[in-house]
Amino acid sequence: MSSLQLEVKQMIIDALDLEDIEASEIDDNEPLFVDGLGLDSIDALEIGLALQKRYGIKLKADSDETRKHFASVNALAALIQSQAEQ
Amino acid sequence: MLSFKLQSWNAVAPGLESKAQWRSWLERPFPLSSDLHKVSLTQVSPILRRRFTELGRCAASAALPLLENIDAVPGVFASRHGDTPLTLSLLEGIAEDQPMSPTGFSLAVHNAVAGLLSIARKDVSEATSIAATENLIPLALLEAVTRLQEHEQVLCIIYDVPLPELYRPYAESESYPFALAMRLSRREGVDMVLEHGLHHQLQSEEASDLLRVMRLLCDLDGTANFRSGSGVGWSLRRKADAREN
Repeated sequence: MSSLQLEVKQMIIDALDLEDIEASEIDDNEPLFVDGLGLDSIDALEIGLALQKRYGIKLKADSDETRKHFASVNALAALIQSQAEQ
Repeated sequence: MLSFKLQSWNAVAPGLESKAQWRSWLERPFPLSSDLHKVSLTQVSPILRRRFTELGRCAASAALPLLENIDAVPGVFASRHGDTPLTLSLLEGIAEDQPMSPTGFSLAVHNAVAGLLSIARKDVSEATSIAATENLIPLALLEAVTRLQEHEQVLCIIYDVPLPELYRPYAESESYPFALAMRLSRREGVDMVLEHGLHHQLQSEEASDLLRVMRLLCDLDGTANFRSGSGVGWSLRRKADAREN
């Protein structure tokens, strides 16, 4: 697990009050929403806010691209990586 | 005069969870903690449980034990102040130009507790959320009894948490979190009467409406007369005691 992936997981846990879940329990490739971790639409907005606060990333609320970025921890990590390189 | 049957009830406050505990506390009151100890809410999945603030945990822990064998029941949710601690924290965030948490915003509405319970129980029955400055308890019961016209039973739940320090000079609240859940029924339970009329003597001037209704439910009083500015007000009593009062 790379440090960025771990950072993303900790951000998700902190932003969503997932007190009972350890970072190691979240799979890098599993879906975050509905299946997998079982997050919902309010969680998506909360993660969007956390991305904005921590990494200065602003996303459109309901675009297909945003859906792809939110698919998994790896997808979020790739988004953060690509923004950092710009 | 309105009649209904009280099928069951359950009330929660810090350290008070059973009728026996409530009764002994009402007879020999002592100051209650202002924090609800960590209610476990094991009936609710962990992923949903994190959404319950203290107000929601308090209300749910009173209501859920009454609903274990019931798939669907309409509800009347009554709170004088709602989630004021949460609302205040959002307002403080705005004052500091912080972006607002979508979760916090969604949970700060007055019907948030009704919504969370509906999701937790997968119960899409209608729910009404009300607030009242005076007579919250009798008005919640009035709303619930009205619902009995269309439903076999109705859940009526009254709940509040203490106001944050900032608001205390401007309004009253109990100094401890509490929730009182009651299952009203058309057919089963203790016959009760809710009445609006000339006020009888209040049992004790300083007791709050919550304490009056709890004394009635714990069989310490036959009638709960609710406070009113004028001489006319609400009272709740067991039907068997009607003539004595």
